[in-house]
Amino acid sequence: MEFTREIYWNVGHGAATLVPMYLLVIAALAVLVYGFRQRIEVYRLGLPLNRTDNLGDRIVGMLKNVLLQKKVTQVLWPGLLHGLFFWGFFLLLIGTTLIVIQADFTDLLFDYRFLTGTFYKLFSVTLDLAGLVAILMLSGLLIRRYVLRPEGLVTKRDDAIMHGLMLTILCTGFLIEGARMAVTEMGTPLAPWSPVGMAVAGVLSAAGEGALLTVHKLTWWFHLLLVMAFICLIPFTKFRHILTTSANYLFTDRGPKGKLVKLDLENEESETFGATSLKEMTWKDIFDADACTICKRCQDRCPAYATGKPLSPMKVVNQLQEVAFTAPDSQLIELIGKDVLWSCTTCRACQEICPAAIEHVGKIVELRRSMVLMEGEFPGEEVMAAMEATEVNGNPLGIGYASRGDWAEGLGVKTVGEDADIDILYFVGCYASFDKRNIAVARSFIQLCQAAGVKVGILGKEEKCCGEPMRKMGNEYLFQTLAAEMVELINGSGVKKVVTTCPHCYNTLAKDYRDFGLEVEVEPYTVYLERLLSEGRLRVRSEDLVCTYHDSCYLGRHNDIYDAPRQLIRAAGGRITEMEKNREEAFCCSAGGGRIMAEEKIGERINIRRVQMASATGTAILVSNCPFCLTMFEDGVKGAGVEESLKPRDIAEILAERIQRA
Amino acid sequence: MKILVCIKQVPDMESKFKVAASGTWYDTADLAWRMNEYDEYAVEQAVQLKEQVGDADLTVLCIGGEQVKETMKKALAMGCDRGVHIADDKSAEKEPYQIAGIIAEFARDKGFDLIFTGMQSQDRGSAQVGVLVAELLAIPSISTIVQFTFAGGRIETKRELEGGVKAIVRTSTPALVTCQLGLNTPRYPTLPNIMKAKKKELVSLPVTDLLKVEARQETAKLFFPEKKGGGLVLEGDVGPLADRLIQILKEKTGVLA
Repeated sequence: MEFTREIYWNVGHGAATLVPMYLLVIAALAVLVYGFRQRIEVYRLGLPLNRTDNLGDRIVGMLKNVLLQKKVTQVLWPGLLHGLFFWGFFLLLIGTTLIVIQADFTDLLFDYRFLTGTFYKLFSVTLDLAGLVAILMLSGLLIRRYVLRPEGLVTKRDDAIMHGLMLTILCTGFLIEGARMAVTEMGTPLAPWSPVGMAVAGVLSAAGEGALLTVHKLTWWFHLLLVMAFICLIPFTKFRHILTTSANYLFTDRGPKGKLVKLDLENEESETFGATSLKEMTWKDIFDADACTICKRCQDRCPAYATGKPLSPMKVVNQLQEVAFTAPDSQLIELIGKDVLWSCTTCRACQEICPAAIEHVGKIVELRRSMVLMEGEFPGEEVMAAMEATEVNGNPLGIGYASRGDWAEGLGVKTVGEDADIDILYFVGCYASFDKRNIAVARSFIQLCQAAGVKVGILGKEEKCCGEPMRKMGNEYLFQTLAAEMVELINGSGVKKVVTTCPHCYNTLAKDYRDFGLEVEVEPYTVYLERLLSEGRLRVRSEDLVCTYHDSCYLGRHNDIYDAPRQLIRAAGGRITEMEKNREEAFCCSAGGGRIMAEEKIGERINIRRVQMASATGTAILVSNCPFCLTMFEDGVKGAGVEESLKPRDIAEILAERIQRA
Repeated sequence: MKILVCIKQVPDMESKFKVAASGTWYDTADLAWRMNEYDEYAVEQAVQLKEQVGDADLTVLCIGGEQVKETMKKALAMGCDRGVHIADDKSAEKEPYQIAGIIAEFARDKGFDLIFTGMQSQDRGSAQVGVLVAELLAIPSISTIVQFTFAGGRIETKRELEGGVKAIVRTSTPALVTCQLGLNTPRYPTLPNIMKAKKKELVSLPVTDLLKVEARQETAKLFFPEKKGGGLVLEGDVGPLADRLIQILKEKTGVLA
């Protein structure tokens, strides 16, 4: 026998089937197009932004994420359920397309059939199993949502429609197959190539052929109607994520990661800065909001949310979506809430995990910009004081600028003004310059460089804050003033390479300053020292050290540097017991996003929470790589009452204690 | 309504101060400069008054070298309408009566309804300039105000007295007030206002045109206070510690006599 089946068996392949069927398809597609045309009008309320450059790379990136479900499966269990469901459904889509191609084109026009023989057997078994996998995965997702009910998962009418419709489509598919097989295929060698269909057919066989024919025909039309309903519902329910989330991968921010958009402050025409309404945000901000699948992964990782602050990145994005489609002129800052916007530490945990490639941080900063630049508002008077201190003395601590280079006393480090013949310029940053605890880190770094024979220069009292905390807090004007000054100073110094011990300085110099004309290479000290070590220029003794390691947000998520610091610790004899939240999932210390300047008044203290996580590893040392982290942890061990059992240290300090001199 | 607010540029108090070679003032090297704190309250109050009455013209005045214009720009960004810079590279050498004389000379024929000044400067701290200006102009002055209201051509202020006592003082305009900490929270200038400030009128007048009074006092010497014995921290076991404490109390005080 030939291994194939009659397409449109029992339903008929004449005009009586094809005309109403294709009319339905056309109608459903028309509804789909109409729905999205309406939505596109809303996206277009936003300001222009070019997100179609490097289209080839963008398409490749999109396909990777859509077909391989790369971001979705970053969270294992729900991700795998969704991934497998997607692959099952995707195979069914391909199978249906092949049927349409053969039945209504190649066979109809050229009498050519390809769904035959071995290919048909494989086709049959693949689709059959794909359907089964889809049903099982969907059931798993259904149980997760309606029975297990993970905390924070928002379930709405859309979810019921989606689960119900998908499940009915899949089950009716098997019912159609079973009815057909019961009449035509049972007992033939082809039947085992549709194992699920065969099982259904086995159950149905008891019914007579007449009844089966009726059931088959009715279910076929019902199944078709459901599929058409599915297509129609895409733009009007969360089904839209099939298209919007996929497209969001295409329009993704191609980096550099965490670099903010430069505001044009020179433009005499502009009267507003930052955003107060959706129309002052870009189309991508609105599109992002429409691509959200409300999966709560961002919320689960937000340190502000976890410690009882009013911020949920998901809620902010959902509010933007609601506003966009109901009242696009709304004042966003009042609607979202100032405390919500000030709570963000720009730690990027939300953005890094988002399976829809939504850009949360930029939106929050854009709204902060409006509060600061248009209203002169800050989360507290202490932040305003830090801003003013930076204007006067070039550092948020308010310490006289002239003593900025005093930390290096006795180390023989010269400023580039005194001696321009140097290997690297050390951009010290405010905390390592003025804060006693962090001065120890700066001095350690110098000792390490000197032991490796590297000649280091500093800017001394000419150096000012890089402006990162101010920029993240929304004070773009102060940031740009500082950036312009520092870029001119560094470019003018003629240095070839800048090294930082502060990841916030690093991120700012290496990325943000490129918009202001900085060209020299910039490297974080962890990467720089790791190279000195591997080249054998720097030698350290390996002395046993049991510790845990905290990935700072700006070295980790913002720059994907996870291994260099760990290698340094291991080279020093460190054995790292990882905290549960490490690497991409590391929990912020609380000081990012300019929050280093602000008091944490709402909810629990983030730094205490992180110190508790470190303490739970049972190690005695909490190693980090960032002056803000170190400051927050020194404070956190006191707050958590573990100052006797847990000592915060910087990698540079650990290494400097183990310098091996030739 | 015409309002005048007088401000001074002073070093940031976090700076490291050194006595200048002259021995009568501080060395200006390595100092960061900012608006005198009390003058910020004065500017804020003047701007609030302008916002209250609507139809008002607010002038900010500052005496000093070219560099004080930076501080004046902040006052303009906070909301002053125009700036008058009295160019004087040697303003630090002038005593309060001369400074008051210059301001009064400028203000005499301008018909200001209200003049705001800080209660004192953070560097010289004489607290004389404001009240002297009022005397020279023969208008009432209220010093160290911590609250200010204006209604129907009259002002009502709250003054801070010693020991936490407060007084309510009223007068009619024209008048001068000197502003104290607690009066208000100075605003952070918005970016559009910073931009607008760059285009506001800022005229410079030579100090020689306005200095009509003679100095009445001079600074003889400026010096750091002599270091006297600081605190003493005793460490060790409790027994010997108590003995040492008793000994010190016996030797250096009369409490055990």
